[in-house]
Amino acid sequence: MKNTQTELDAYNRMKPGIITAAGFLGDDLRTLRDIIEADEEAMAQYNITFEYAADFLEFLKASGQAGLGEPITVESRYIVTVGDARGKLPCPWQDGLYHKNSITVSDTKSRVILIYSDLSIHMLKAHHFCQGKGLAFRLDPQDLAKLIKNDRPQSTP
Amino acid sequence: MSAFLVGPLVSAGLTALLALVIVVTDKIVNNYGDVSIDINSGKKKLPVKGGAPLLLTLAGQGIFVPSACGGRGSCGACKVKVLSDVGPHLPTELPYLSPEEIAANVRLSCQVKVKKNLEIELPESLFNVKKYKARVASIKKLTYDIKEVLFELPPDETIQFTAGQYVQLVVPPYDKIKDSVQRAYSMSSVPGDHRHIELLIRLVPGGIATTWVHTKLQVGNTVELIGPFGEFHVHETPKTMLCVAGGSGMAPFKSMLYDIAERNLYPEKEIWYFFGARSKKDMFYLDEMAELQKRLPRFHFIPALSEPQPDDEWQGETGIITDVLDRYIKTTISNAKGFEGYLCGSPGMINACIKVMTANGIPESEIYFDKFA
Repeated sequence: MKNTQTELDAYNRMKPGIITAAGFLGDDLRTLRDIIEADEEAMAQYNITFEYAADFLEFLKASGQAGLGEPITVESRYIVTVGDARGKLPCPWQDGLYHKNSITVSDTKSRVILIYSDLSIHMLKAHHFCQGKGLAFRLDPQDLAKLIKNDRPQSTP
Repeated sequence: MSAFLVGPLVSAGLTALLALVIVVTDKIVNNYGDVSIDINSGKKKLPVKGGAPLLLTLAGQGIFVPSACGGRGSCGACKVKVLSDVGPHLPTELPYLSPEEIAANVRLSCQVKVKKNLEIELPESLFNVKKYKARVASIKKLTYDIKEVLFELPPDETIQFTAGQYVQLVVPPYDKIKDSVQRAYSMSSVPGDHRHIELLIRLVPGGIATTWVHTKLQVGNTVELIGPFGEFHVHETPKTMLCVAGGSGMAPFKSMLYDIAERNLYPEKEIWYFFGARSKKDMFYLDEMAELQKRLPRFHFIPALSEPQPDDEWQGETGIITDVLDRYIKTTISNAKGFEGYLCGSPGMINACIKVMTANGIPESEIYFDKFA
């Protein structure tokens, strides 16, 4: 599948040293379109929408903020730490600026650990971009499925 | 020569020629020659080569404007008031500037290119900021994710700072990280020790600087530190200090407390220090703080766990640190001399503490903080 010019521009901004030192692509050698399509297929297989996953990560972040920077247990299952850094990061698609932060969720049930930021939530929701393989901030669909499903109460988020 | 080589050779030759034209054009078009930067109406006048961003140009002259992102335009820290006309604000600057700052022509120095003579205004405290090449003297593991790193300055160097200030640690390129980055950390060392700088660094998963400190940095390594920066300090009043922190937010308070104890500063001040952690494995310096309480009877350390684990056998306070603070203000601490707040932590923690303190009658103007963000 051919990348659009917008995707090519976003892809170039995702390289290390442009927006963040590590970039958004990790070890992934695939094109942006290929990364997104593969993750869209995987998310469909796990029967999770990007919007639902993003809302759930937002819910964990909001709940984790009660820890005031220290780890806190959410829903008797997720240990969430919300850390903040100075400044803002622009989305590689240039459709917004997001507070620089780092949310760590450790799921005591599935043993999945995910690290994400406000920008990660936005890219997941708006662009279906889970970030490249080999990156600490990648939101792998399989991990998202384990984190979200696995007998989680239906009432949240 | 085989005919099939002619095409690629001609193509390579044309590419090389084009590259040469670009390099020559760049040298001509982007050569701004020698220019000068006038700081604070003639207090300093720097002859410099034009063409580079103001942040880097100043750093090249030994004037270090704080920057947390190393000039990527993503932290908004490197603000400088520019008195000369350097064109309109760039879209990359606007999100970090208030309407008042825009009106006053405050600029992000990493985004402004030095193309002609410039007049700028800088806080004079930045003239004392230096770059140090320090040797890692020791690394102690305080918890599973916090390390205490002690740096020793070269024999001919000293640092003068106020307890509460911070330095920028320069992290060199490593593994897949191709560019050097800088991060700010409060100093936990005592200002009276001019030969050492101590930092408490918490591992942020996925964080470039903290991962480097926790996985690469070794005793004996030489690193660059830039500082001191920051306005966070103890105010000289008789008011009771209410200090609140968690995790590596301990750093400025350790520096302040040992400074107060060593020099018997502010003898009228009572000091209450609330330190929050989730469980005992996140708690540290309990012995040091207990020892400090013995040396300084007007100092009271209140550690609290929000989620003590069964095997912690925790006898101390429990609950979120803001709830503990609220309880103590209402029931335990005398307000005879008035209160002032000192906070170090994430914006969420700072905001929650400000809410509790103002609800208990402490004016917001007397709540001082070192926000991580």
